[in-house]
Amino acid sequence: MNSLLAAIPPREKIQSIEKPETKPPSEAETIAGLQKIVSSSRLGTFLQCRLKFYYRYVAQIKKAKTAALFLGNAVHETLKAWNKTRWKENRLLSLKELHDEFSRAWEEQSKEEPVNWEGEEEAEKLTGWRLLETYMRQYGLYLAIKPEAVEVPIEADLGNHGLPKLVGVLDLVQQRRVVDYKTSGTTPKEEQSAHTHEVQTCTYAVLYREANGQRELGIELHSLVKLKNPKLSIIELPPMSDSQETRLFHLMEAYVEGLERKDFVPSPGFGCMSCEFFDNCRRWS
Amino acid sequence: MAVTLSANYSKKLGLPGFSSHFFSVSVEVELTDLSQVQAECAKLYQLLQQSVDKEIKQVGFVPDEFFGIDAIGQGQDTQQGGPHQQHQNGNGSHRNGCSQGHHKGSDGHSRSSNGNSDSWNCTDGQRGFILRIVNENNIDKQEVEDLSQQLYQLGVKHLNKMQASQLIEELLAKAGKPSGRTRWSQPRNQQQPS
Repeated sequence: MNSLLAAIPPREKIQSIEKPETKPPSEAETIAGLQKIVSSSRLGTFLQCRLKFYYRYVAQIKKAKTAALFLGNAVHETLKAWNKTRWKENRLLSLKELHDEFSRAWEEQSKEEPVNWEGEEEAEKLTGWRLLETYMRQYGLYLAIKPEAVEVPIEADLGNHGLPKLVGVLDLVQQRRVVDYKTSGTTPKEEQSAHTHEVQTCTYAVLYREANGQRELGIELHSLVKLKNPKLSIIELPPMSDSQETRLFHLMEAYVEGLERKDFVPSPGFGCMSCEFFDNCRRWS
Repeated sequence: MAVTLSANYSKKLGLPGFSSHFFSVSVEVELTDLSQVQAECAKLYQLLQQSVDKEIKQVGFVPDEFFGIDAIGQGQDTQQGGPHQQHQNGNGSHRNGCSQGHHKGSDGHSRSSNGNSDSWNCTDGQRGFILRIVNENNIDKQEVEDLSQQLYQLGVKHLNKMQASQLIEELLAKAGKPSGRTRWSQPRNQQQPS
């Protein structure tokens, strides 16, 4: 079971509390399920490459978690603990406590799913810790600002738009702003990020509005950049515009229609170099 | 000419769960002349206050935060002699602390509109999920209420959809269960791609 989960992104890695299905669903049933519930990662993957989407979500081919994803998840879990503590206990974690949380998150993931580190685990772990230290040094000292939500799953029924249910997890909400954490190897540029993350940020905006009955004041991308000297990049985006919302809904329509047609052709391009399904794709015909 | 003096003492106390109760005592006494009024008033006031205070300490049935929710789902709410009936007859007025009205919005939220204290601000699904987690895991409802207050300074019923979702996450964690997002999962498909 653990190895099967390798092919699924962390936010969607799910261990169902329901009784396991005795009979595995057919491909048609799986596709029907994917048409009913959309997340930004599902939508983003479909838009990036429909064959990749097929391999990941329909065929559910298992792939080992990459070191970068492992590190990102551990950093993410640690920030979650940090936010929960400042919210619920009204205090900031000390650096030692933060390091303990990070080590715990690392260990938990290792138990769940080992990664082939090729001897680099300690170096990667140090990188992760330095990212967190950087974040704390440059951002993390505002105890007065209280979270409104931390790692909260939200769903929005868009049936009245003729669209499926939209789901997602908001990393952090505070001061009516939705914050999303990222780890990256390069410093993001504002305009590029606004475009490349638009599906995700608009999804979060729709979810925020649905759940709170009011518009968000903005969306922030907090990127922890893995440079020799780690840095924090915060990109502040304005609230989703009406045209962005329309655009998201059109993309969702294309997603549903594409799945209906079983349109799972590849999209060869530069992104293929880092795709975990590169070999599968080369064999596709 | 006889002088009739009427005295009344009432007291209303707030109770948990947006409840209150109220007790009132009235007496009439006859005085022989007006010079007795002041002294008699003082005596009656003390007497009535002591009497009311003594009795009002007995609060009787007090509904908790989730009172009546299960009954609504099971259609028990309208039955005579049920918890509502007992409450109304035995303990004076029960007011709703919610100042908003209540309606079912197009977005699936239940919102206040009719003064019904059993209305929740989150969705029906969230309300049911919270109650199920609480019941199945024997979590003290007061603990849930305290957690809601700690996070949002709001009672459970007043949480909006995002806040309720956060509370559900906290309750699931408390119960040692996986996150509520599990319901989005796709069942495993064992077949291999062609």
